[in-house]
Amino acid sequence: MTSNPVAEPRDELLLCYCTMLTIGELRAACQSGRWPLRDKENTGKLCTACVGDLLYCLRRFGVDASL
Amino acid sequence: MSNSLSALMSATFYERGYDHHVEVIHQRDAEARRRLESLEVTLYDGAGALLATPKVDPAQDILDLGGLVTAATRASERVMVVLDARYDEAIFPYRPHHYAYLHRAGSAAPPLYYAINAVLGGVPDRVGATNINNFETYLFRRGPFAQRYSLLLGCLARFVPVTAQVFTYYGSRRIAHEVTLEPKCHTEIVLAAEDAGERLSRVEVKSLFRLLSYVVGRREDTDDFVLFDHLFTYAK
Repeated sequence: MTSNPVAEPRDELLLCYCTMLTIGELRAACQSGRWPLRDKENTGKLCTACVGDLLYCLRRFGVDASL
Repeated sequence: MSNSLSALMSATFYERGYDHHVEVIHQRDAEARRRLESLEVTLYDGAGALLATPKVDPAQDILDLGGLVTAATRASERVMVVLDARYDEAIFPYRPHHYAYLHRAGSAAPPLYYAINAVLGGVPDRVGATNINNFETYLFRRGPFAQRYSLLLGCLARFVPVTAQVFTYYGSRRIAHEVTLEPKCHTEIVLAAEDAGERLSRVEVKSLFRLLSYVVGRREDTDDFVLFDHLFTYAK
């Protein structure tokens, strides 16, 4: 058994399963000021299960985000 | 086969003593057998500790959760089984789901069939659905209960905890309960059958970030599951 500390956002991790947005794509978009990406506008709005993770990552990547 | 794959992360709960089989894909066409591109299975205890990552063949039609959990862990408590699939959209052209069969070994109670809760990726962008689905309801049947009811909740978030409000209704009276789950943690919330002489009529789960959720019923005398179902989103 291993403990489960909060994971570091790895680029290859799939963040939004509904729009197929990866952490790496989000990081790159934030760094270049292109968030929200075209065709990924629905990220977090469909199944809604990734919204908390999305806000966490946006803040980590320097975007002032809230619901 | 399309060039891009879709993704689905769904989950259920395994308890020892049950035959619990997941139908990964319902094979509808004998001439065109379908399979997932990949399937990763992870098992977690209630505190969110990773118990095991058993290897499975994505071409399997049926997963035997009892065999999988028993071979991979010594856990005697409830285990959250997370299924992380990649698939071609032709397999699940609308809302993707795996399905499951559940029956306590040797029990005279009828088996249960249910849709496994599709938590992440349950509403693919391609289907164009926009109804909010993080406010879910279950309506209980009227008549006397021979069951004990509860909610099984799990958190599939990767980085942040999720807080949910659980509302139970007894006649015109509503009782609120708040629960916060850290990533990969899960819990059972017992729903009292009566309050102040009124019978439990409805339960609602409301959270900003959707949780894994099932409403379950167990027989008073044998403790067997007689209900294992997801809640429903009623669009206004």
